[in-house]
Amino acid sequence: MPKTQFIDPAKVRQASKIKFKDIPVNQYDKSIEEEKVNFTKEQFIDIYHDMVLIREFETMLNEIKIKGEYQGVSYNHPGPAHLSIGQESAAVGMAYHLDEKDFIFGSHRSHGEILAKGMSAIHKMDDAALTEVMKNFFDGTILKIVSENHQGDLKSLARRFLVYGTLAEVFARETGFNKGLGGSMHAFFTPFGVYPNNAIVGGSGDIAVGAALYKKVNQKDGIVVANIGDASMACGPVWEGLSFASMDQFEQLWEGAYKGGLPIIFNIMNNQYGMGGQTCGETMGYDIAARIGAGVNRDSMHAERVDGYNPLAVIDAYKRKMELLKDKKGPVLLDVLTYRYSGHSPSDASSYRSKEEVEAWENQDCITSYAKELLAAGILSNDELEAIKADVTELMKYSMTLAIDDEVSPRMDLVKHPEIIGEMMFSEGSVDKMEDRPVEVNHPMEENPRVKQIAKKERFAFDSKGKPFSKIKQYQLRDGLFEAIVDRFYKDPTLVAYGEENRDWGGAFAVYRGLTEALPYQRLFNSPISEASIIGTAIGYAMCGGRVIPEIMYCDFLGRCGDEVFNQLPKWQAMSGNVIKMPVVIRVSVGSKYGAQHSQDWSSLVAHIPGLKVCFPATPFDAKGLMNTALQGTDPVIFFESQRIYDIGEQFHDGGVPEEYYEIPFGEPDVKLEGKDITILSIGATVYRALEAAKELEEKYGMSAEVIDARSIVPFNYEPVIESLKKTGRIVLTSDANERGSFLKDMAQRITELAFDELDAPPVVVGSRNWITPAYELEDYFFPTKEWLIDAIHEKIVPLNGHTVLNNFTNAEIIRRSKLGI
Amino acid sequence: MANAIIMPRQGQSVESCIFTEWYKQAGDTIQKGDILFAYETDKASFEQEAEEDGVLLATFCEAGDEIPVLQNIGVIGKEGEDISTFQEGNSSTEDEDVQTEVVEEKSEQADVKVVLKESVEGEKIKISPRAKKMAEAEVVPFQKLEGSGPEGRIIVRDIEAYLASVPKTTPLAKEVIKAEGLATPEQGSGLGGTVKAADLSTNPVYASDFEIKKLPNIRKLIAKAMHASLQNSAQLTHHLGADARRLLELRKQVKATEGAPNITINDMVCFAVIKALKQFPDANAHFLGDSVKYFNKVHLGLAVDTDRGLMVPAIKNADDLSISGLSSQFKEVAESCRQGSVDPELLSSEAASFTVSNLGNYGVEMFTPVINLPQVAILGVNTIVPRPADLGGGAYGFVPYMGLSLTYDHQALDGGLATRFLKQIAIEIENLTIDF
Repeated sequence: MPKTQFIDPAKVRQASKIKFKDIPVNQYDKSIEEEKVNFTKEQFIDIYHDMVLIREFETMLNEIKIKGEYQGVSYNHPGPAHLSIGQESAAVGMAYHLDEKDFIFGSHRSHGEILAKGMSAIHKMDDAALTEVMKNFFDGTILKIVSENHQGDLKSLARRFLVYGTLAEVFARETGFNKGLGGSMHAFFTPFGVYPNNAIVGGSGDIAVGAALYKKVNQKDGIVVANIGDASMACGPVWEGLSFASMDQFEQLWEGAYKGGLPIIFNIMNNQYGMGGQTCGETMGYDIAARIGAGVNRDSMHAERVDGYNPLAVIDAYKRKMELLKDKKGPVLLDVLTYRYSGHSPSDASSYRSKEEVEAWENQDCITSYAKELLAAGILSNDELEAIKADVTELMKYSMTLAIDDEVSPRMDLVKHPEIIGEMMFSEGSVDKMEDRPVEVNHPMEENPRVKQIAKKERFAFDSKGKPFSKIKQYQLRDGLFEAIVDRFYKDPTLVAYGEENRDWGGAFAVYRGLTEALPYQRLFNSPISEASIIGTAIGYAMCGGRVIPEIMYCDFLGRCGDEVFNQLPKWQAMSGNVIKMPVVIRVSVGSKYGAQHSQDWSSLVAHIPGLKVCFPATPFDAKGLMNTALQGTDPVIFFESQRIYDIGEQFHDGGVPEEYYEIPFGEPDVKLEGKDITILSIGATVYRALEAAKELEEKYGMSAEVIDARSIVPFNYEPVIESLKKTGRIVLTSDANERGSFLKDMAQRITELAFDELDAPPVVVGSRNWITPAYELEDYFFPTKEWLIDAIHEKIVPLNGHTVLNNFTNAEIIRRSKLGI
Repeated sequence: MANAIIMPRQGQSVESCIFTEWYKQAGDTIQKGDILFAYETDKASFEQEAEEDGVLLATFCEAGDEIPVLQNIGVIGKEGEDISTFQEGNSSTEDEDVQTEVVEEKSEQADVKVVLKESVEGEKIKISPRAKKMAEAEVVPFQKLEGSGPEGRIIVRDIEAYLASVPKTTPLAKEVIKAEGLATPEQGSGLGGTVKAADLSTNPVYASDFEIKKLPNIRKLIAKAMHASLQNSAQLTHHLGADARRLLELRKQVKATEGAPNITINDMVCFAVIKALKQFPDANAHFLGDSVKYFNKVHLGLAVDTDRGLMVPAIKNADDLSISGLSSQFKEVAESCRQGSVDPELLSSEAASFTVSNLGNYGVEMFTPVINLPQVAILGVNTIVPRPADLGGGAYGFVPYMGLSLTYDHQALDGGLATRFLKQIAIEIENLTIDF
């Protein structure tokens, strides 16, 4: 809470009532005659054409799934196909006013939206821009395919391009829009403003908000539409997205050009079913989904239900809502009523709805009804309608024939290029700034109070005689993080940071102290306490071209953004065929002293997920160097910090932490202490306990330990560890993570595999117990200590003369604990 | 990667060769098949061809040097490659480095003792991969080491301790040890005790054609007792023959008499021995070093051959028994030995005052039985053979004689007494009377 805002008890304690604005429901009532002033004949026809295009596209897929053929061409498509037959008017109406600078995000049922938005962009872009897009996309690969034997204008070529590119993607062809790595549920094409469609229900509900944030912070033209289903309105991350999008601070605290609401429309494609669950009457209580707007903000999100069966009604709503967004009155909620005749997927037997219901909706079919009106209004003749249909059918047959031709549209050749997907997991960029323009900051860096304070600190922990400086004088780990982050804020104008208590407070652990003074609101702000939206919006922000540092305070809160961290962040670079970059550095802090839900090291969980880089520095030098690397890169990084050591000084790097910029490459472990009898490999804060153990091993048992700090765990270079093992033949691994399933186990296995002959004992893992974290006073029974390390060495690696164990590391005990699952 | 050039091995026995000449100099480009150098043994001269293409990176010896076979004498590889790892063993300064390191290493494991045991076929050996690799490279007989690691695992420090406890070995000796699975001898005949191949007692004939089995406990006990007997007494054996006609006659009578017990020749010999012992109490005794235990009664031990091994049960108060009593007791106790049900008390060497071991049945003509200490003597009974004898009246003929071999402890008995005792046994045999 900023000090500028005063919570006046006299005011907030007053009696009053909340009054809601009316939420219009299906208010559109214009005839086509009345609309003739708003649309040209061609535009009326385009609307019809685009709906027919979608219908035929979905019909083709349905026939392939059900009959194994379309128009006499047979094909087997084993992958998914979630069709939207019946919903065409909703899609075309949504897309009608949008151009390529407006971004849409969708769901698993978004073929229609891709085609509608693609066609809308094609209608609006000039030939030069269209040619540019088609020529540059994957070096003109798709353009070359569809140009063959093409007759007609550029827009008709672009239409071929759109349909073929989408279909080839559905069929997992390397010539698809995402090299076949996205597929039906994730296909998209950013040059036309079609952003990732998401196979997780509600997945776009927070990601799209991040795209709107990007538009706002970077002052980009265009709006963002989150196409989400009616059933997704139950999902937590969607609500978190709504909360994030409707924060008061946009209006009340952000200044100048940045003041005002986010340019986003939450577009509920309300087909009234979530798979088979009926949202009105069964699985939800909102009755009319537009009602949700009333609970979100003062403007009730300008919510409205629109009859999505009439494309003109949807177009009308969009015209009005886009005006609101232009006036910075977002966010907007639209409840676009529609119906799908096709099943959720081809395996759907429609056991949840009656035949009569489907027929009743079919009788009012959006395309047939619109066609009737066009006929009645004399805009088109029957023959012309039929000609459009025939043309579209011809286009589908052409596209299908091409897309299933293994010569023209091959799948990725994993025999010839076995690592082709591996190479797409990370973009491995090294980019100073994501956009070249001046940075917005409040003062020159040297005037910053924190920068001035750090200048007086000792950048090495010890004086020339080896005596440590006082804590307060030492340059601490949190200072290392700060230096890297502030440096990037002054380099990259797109960089933003947010999370809980990031502004004013300076971050819960004082890493950001001084940043509030340096940065305007739009670059550093407090988010709602909603981790899914913190990470989800960061993903959307990065997808559009920005760099972002979301922070989720405690590692334990990772679960609150599970889908975002596990399903979204790691996937989109590869699923886009490397079209999208993901420069997101998530700061995660591992606690201590705060018990079971505030003390967990979950680095192993994220390390398990392909597509994330994971690091965990334990010294100021490493913290600054790794943060610099993370912020210079274009890949998602989960950046672990430990609350045990935010105040630790630099004890290892000669000359202390350099003032200038430097990078430490990911994946390179660092030898913190050289030794020759045993190797201790540590992840995170345990490195200091490993050093204590090394000291005792040397003094009491004459054993010289080599202590290696992993620093990062994905990627990880095993070579230095193997080199150490060649010397010592023994290794113990330690971290604060629960021992079962810890990443240390993965490392132990790899080490065994890579250096079996070097081992004089099995690699031994010393992690935390598989319990809840007890109170601080009991932590020594839970987290690894110096004594645990020595006991484990004695018991499992090499008996130490005269050593008496305090802890049980025997095989019998391991078996007992495993049997009990503890 | 660079490779070492080694002094070739010439047969099993050549320990070292005299280096004669380099045909190539360091820095020369070498092709496979080029003559690299010449060397000689005391019997012949040889030339060595290059085994690969490359550059001769270094040479470590000169004409006239005596080089142990299999030792590095040069390096072949690509220009600029690191050759530092190849010089080991050739430069004395480096040797010292290695040694100081070993000394340092000991600080961690000063107390590791080398415990050798007999390796046993089929026994599971716990050894770390690193220790095994090291053991194989350094030809350490790890099967014989007791491990000091967790659960008795052999770990590197055990191998290092072993290596520190044995002398250095020449490369050839190492190879032979490896190939033949030998243990490194404690002392070699080379410089500073270095073990040479010639020091290895390898049998080129049967090589590894044997198996080693663990001793059953009874064997261990017998081995211990027998070894102790020879170690702790002054044994010698006198041999003497007894006219066996009387014995054979009595045996014939026993067989011919219906319903008579089956009294064997052995029963009768023992019966005679008991009679003799009654007259020579010095032989019916235990020698205790500074004193002698004389027995009033005769407790006769009888060596019995069983599947489990040799057993010597005692018959208590044998002098109280009639010939048939003695005979039946012998049969009983021998049977219970074979079945393993004998009272272990009776098997103790202290249980008997004197022992008879009869190998006559097997045709043994003479042997030296080993005393069951602390008894002072043991009688070996041999087979009966016909011997020419004076039949009286100038007539000579063949008479059946039984060989008797008395082993006695010279600490306890003098030769004269022993001889007289043995003679008395013969007299008792020759004049035996029995009732049955």
